[in-house]
Amino acid sequence: MQGPLGKFMLKHPSTLVFLGLLSLFTIIVTIGSEAFGYGFVSTSFVKTLGKTLCFCLIAIAMDLVWGYCGILSLGHFAFFGLGGYMIGMWLMYERTRLIVINAAENAQIPMTHQEIQDAIGTQIFGVVGGSDFPLVWAFSHLFWVQLALVVLVPGILALIFGWLAFRSRVTGVYLSILTQAMTLALALYLFQNDSGLRGNNGLSGLQNLPGLESTDQSLISMWFFWASAFALGLGYLLVKLIVESKLGNVVRAIRDDEARVRFLGYNVEVYKLFIFTLTAVIAAIAGALYYPQAGIINPAEIAPIASIYLAVWVAIGGRGRIYGAVIGAAVVSLLSSWFTGGQAPDISLGFYTIKWVDWWLVLLGISFVIVTLYVPKGIGGLFDKFTKGAEQ
Amino acid sequence: MSGALLEVDGISVSFDGFKAINNLSFNIDSGELRAIIGPNGAGKTTFMDIITGKTRPDSGKVIWGEENVSLIKKSESDIANMGIGRKFQKPTVFEDQTTRDNLTMALKNKRKPWAVLFYHSNADDRAKVDDIADEIGLSDHLDRRAGDLSHGQKQWLEIGMLLAQEPRLLLVDEPAAGMTVDERNHTVTLLRRAAETRAVVVVEHDMEFIRNLDCKVTVLHEGSVLAEGSLDHVTQNQDVIDVYLGR
Repeated sequence: MQGPLGKFMLKHPSTLVFLGLLSLFTIIVTIGSEAFGYGFVSTSFVKTLGKTLCFCLIAIAMDLVWGYCGILSLGHFAFFGLGGYMIGMWLMYERTRLIVINAAENAQIPMTHQEIQDAIGTQIFGVVGGSDFPLVWAFSHLFWVQLALVVLVPGILALIFGWLAFRSRVTGVYLSILTQAMTLALALYLFQNDSGLRGNNGLSGLQNLPGLESTDQSLISMWFFWASAFALGLGYLLVKLIVESKLGNVVRAIRDDEARVRFLGYNVEVYKLFIFTLTAVIAAIAGALYYPQAGIINPAEIAPIASIYLAVWVAIGGRGRIYGAVIGAAVVSLLSSWFTGGQAPDISLGFYTIKWVDWWLVLLGISFVIVTLYVPKGIGGLFDKFTKGAEQ
Repeated sequence: MSGALLEVDGISVSFDGFKAINNLSFNIDSGELRAIIGPNGAGKTTFMDIITGKTRPDSGKVIWGEENVSLIKKSESDIANMGIGRKFQKPTVFEDQTTRDNLTMALKNKRKPWAVLFYHSNADDRAKVDDIADEIGLSDHLDRRAGDLSHGQKQWLEIGMLLAQEPRLLLVDEPAAGMTVDERNHTVTLLRRAAETRAVVVVEHDMEFIRNLDCKVTVLHEGSVLAEGSLDHVTQNQDVIDVYLGR
């Protein structure tokens, strides 16, 4: 292999293995999909897999900020959700506009521009009793601006929040509580009807891409699956490059002894801010890919519990090893949708029936405790023997 | 003398009414080796905290270098970059990383995240790391996890990290704690050699160690200077005998 990237891959074969497995997985799903192959992977399952890849991407971000930098953020799903909202606004606006224009063509009297705008407004905001566009929708008709906002809004929020928190040297559990407060405050704000983002209804119909109404979902689901796989591969490579650089060493040193790093002359706050903001942006991109596959986003998605789940995925998968985060997110989120989706057979004990929909959380809680106590390195830790040997 | 490298003038600091440092003044010249002794609670560590920016004094001045910069409102990292290195009482090296990574991180280089992210190891830096490893006797341990080193080796690694920072003033807190006799002798040699090119301040309890350092001694007591001079001079001082040696 040639070039600096090739050298990097040879030095860290686990990256090559990961990207290889991800490509293989993508090919298998493509061959099995209804759109391109034999159809043994249903469209709804393609969506589930695509969404799982997005969870893996945000788990990588969580591993960088928590596993490597030692910041236990319990608010990264806020950035994931904001990314989803930003792309969702364009999807919803544009699709509604096309519907309104379509309807207008059949009308006897042509509609004025203002009438069209009003009709779109009524369509979107009628559910919260309004028809005017709130200020936050100012750019919703511009795809590229809204796409930029996917990274800018969560990025700037993380920058401001992180600057305030790190500058005051808030660390450890206090910082975790602060991040929980941030995501809770954001969720509560979005729940309000006058937040401008349709309150608890959230944004819906996001699976329908504007202008592609005649394109089958089996095809669209594959596009998003590929995009998610590509983003995950890119995110993995980026985070791996960072943690293996000298900056990675400094970041790990901050995790282990922040005060000592200061006396080495590194401005710890700037480093934390960089990692916090970067991971917020990665989370936002994951969210922007997730919600068009989920079809709907509402404020409940960024409730504090979501970010706690994220920490649980990474802890079970294994902190401080990026593939661990991927394994944790994939295994736990897929198991979760299996158990809570009603597919898992209930267990009848005669006097009591274990319904997995209710008991899954208990099972997850118990596994979390067991992993924390007995397998602190998580599932990913089981692979350490191979990777450490190969990468030294 | 054209002015001290570090000039501490009348600093005081109290924690919850307890005066940890009380109107303390202290000067050190470039290239000077100095030992600070004093009973527990004399304010030795607080004194270092103030110089390195960890603690802000309630009053007084801390003036650094030829340009007479005040250190009082500077952050820890700024002070470190201005040329003051600090070694803690308990060895604090980054145990998860190799000796080489520890030293490379400490090497005097750009400290901004962007420069650090795109840092590429070069022959110059590798040679510096090898030299320091040689000096601290860890050449054969460069690729070991720092956590696997012995207690004494960790202390040396930390001194090596300080040397790598190329500071003009080294503050060393109890370097000999928990060391064997041989290790102590090696540490004395290291510090004396370091003092040839920079100022070194050593806080230590061990009198034999201080005697081997063979330098001017400052005795602290209840947050201020009790006596200053050669070891023989201060050990004959009646005040010093009363509060420190006599017990």
